[in-house]
Amino acid sequence: MGAVVIDYGMGNVASVQKALRFLQIDSVVSNDKTIIREASALILPGVGAFAQGMHNLHESGLVGVLHEEVLQNKKPFLGICLGMQLLATTGTEPHTCQGLGWVAGTVRKMEDSVLRIPHLGWNTVERTRESDIIQQDKTDCYFIHSYHFDAEDPNVVLATVDYGKTYVAAIEQNNIFATQFHPEKSQDAGLAMLKQFFQKYA
Amino acid sequence: MLKVRIIPILTFNGFGLVKTKQFQQPRMVGNPVQAARVYNSRGVDELLFLDIFATKQKRKLNLKMVSDVIRECFMPVGIGGGIDNIEDIRDLLKIGADKVIIKTAAINDPDFVNKAADFFGAQCISVAVDAYLDENGVYRIYTTEKGAIPVDEFIPLMSEKGAGEIVLTSVDRDGMMQGFDIDLVKLAGKSCQLPIVVAGGGGEPAHFTELFSQTDCGAAAAASIFHFTQFTPLDIKRALETIGKPVRL
Repeated sequence: MGAVVIDYGMGNVASVQKALRFLQIDSVVSNDKTIIREASALILPGVGAFAQGMHNLHESGLVGVLHEEVLQNKKPFLGICLGMQLLATTGTEPHTCQGLGWVAGTVRKMEDSVLRIPHLGWNTVERTRESDIIQQDKTDCYFIHSYHFDAEDPNVVLATVDYGKTYVAAIEQNNIFATQFHPEKSQDAGLAMLKQFFQKYA
Repeated sequence: MLKVRIIPILTFNGFGLVKTKQFQQPRMVGNPVQAARVYNSRGVDELLFLDIFATKQKRKLNLKMVSDVIRECFMPVGIGGGIDNIEDIRDLLKIGADKVIIKTAAINDPDFVNKAADFFGAQCISVAVDAYLDENGVYRIYTTEKGAIPVDEFIPLMSEKGAGEIVLTSVDRDGMMQGFDIDLVKLAGKSCQLPIVVAGGGGEPAHFTELFSQTDCGAAAAASIFHFTQFTPLDIKRALETIGKPVRL
């Protein structure tokens, strides 16, 4: 069984699957619990609002099986954009609500008196420590977001990005790897990270 | 540091790529899928694919063609043309579009932008603002209706309705290759805090250095320069680098 891209109605599954196909990594898009249990790795993509994302995960009954597979069975997990933000304890978009709570932190609106929001375009991802997955100290990746992950424990932060302030760009905690940017849209730089993730874990 | 973006625009008539001058005289310029493949291999920052006749001809986007274009791209792609309901947007996101560009529906029903942004998130809802300078020196939205609203009223309205980005095109400069409308860009920049993509008039790298040195826009889009000259997006970015702008090379 290959990787499963979790389908919870928050878009963007097509581009993730296209990137995996290019890398010759088997994947299916699914919201079926049995298939999720059998997967070799789980990918949670997503664009849209935090509260809607959590609502959809609860609605499709996937929260329990995700907890089991990722936290107990330590299945490799990749979160992208909203799929990273949902790991937080708390979200605030558009109102305060609980996230999956796997990575301690709060997702807040980016605020800046000068810079334009959303933070949109190619920006430098700077690695904060050694990692198999992000192999370069600095690399340009594609961002598009108005909310950011404010992590409680700085040790989970694998990479940051500078947009007026320093924001979390990637998180790595045990079997969990997650990015605020879109590796599947970041051409060679992003494809290399996806490849490394699967090489490390699969 | 956030890089400035250079974005090729592919304008489409339902069958092939076309390029207009001042939104008139469409001229055939090739095959969209082939063009997308070339731009992907050149590592462009982003691509815009717009069916500029869909609304006028009262038809929907050719999803097969759009999906063939998207399949070639490992960079962000924005799609526009005749989008006027939630289902249209869902269909496009499902086949891998990253952003949709809404124009006529945003003018006719500004609340549609609000609805779309609430549903899919502001980051994937861009609004096209096509503007011209009227005889009294006022920049107005280009539509077939009379009494089109001024740009500096329409852009704040779109921002308030939750648009994630503005794609600003000067109708007067479209296809003329004689430089961007800097005054229009400055006006738009003051009208909102959203990212703005500027189009219309880029004919040589010097036009882009002029745009980015005189305004704070984050992205420029162009078509003619790539269809009709030897300049590539990389040539433009190299020119921007010489004036100290952050670019992705």
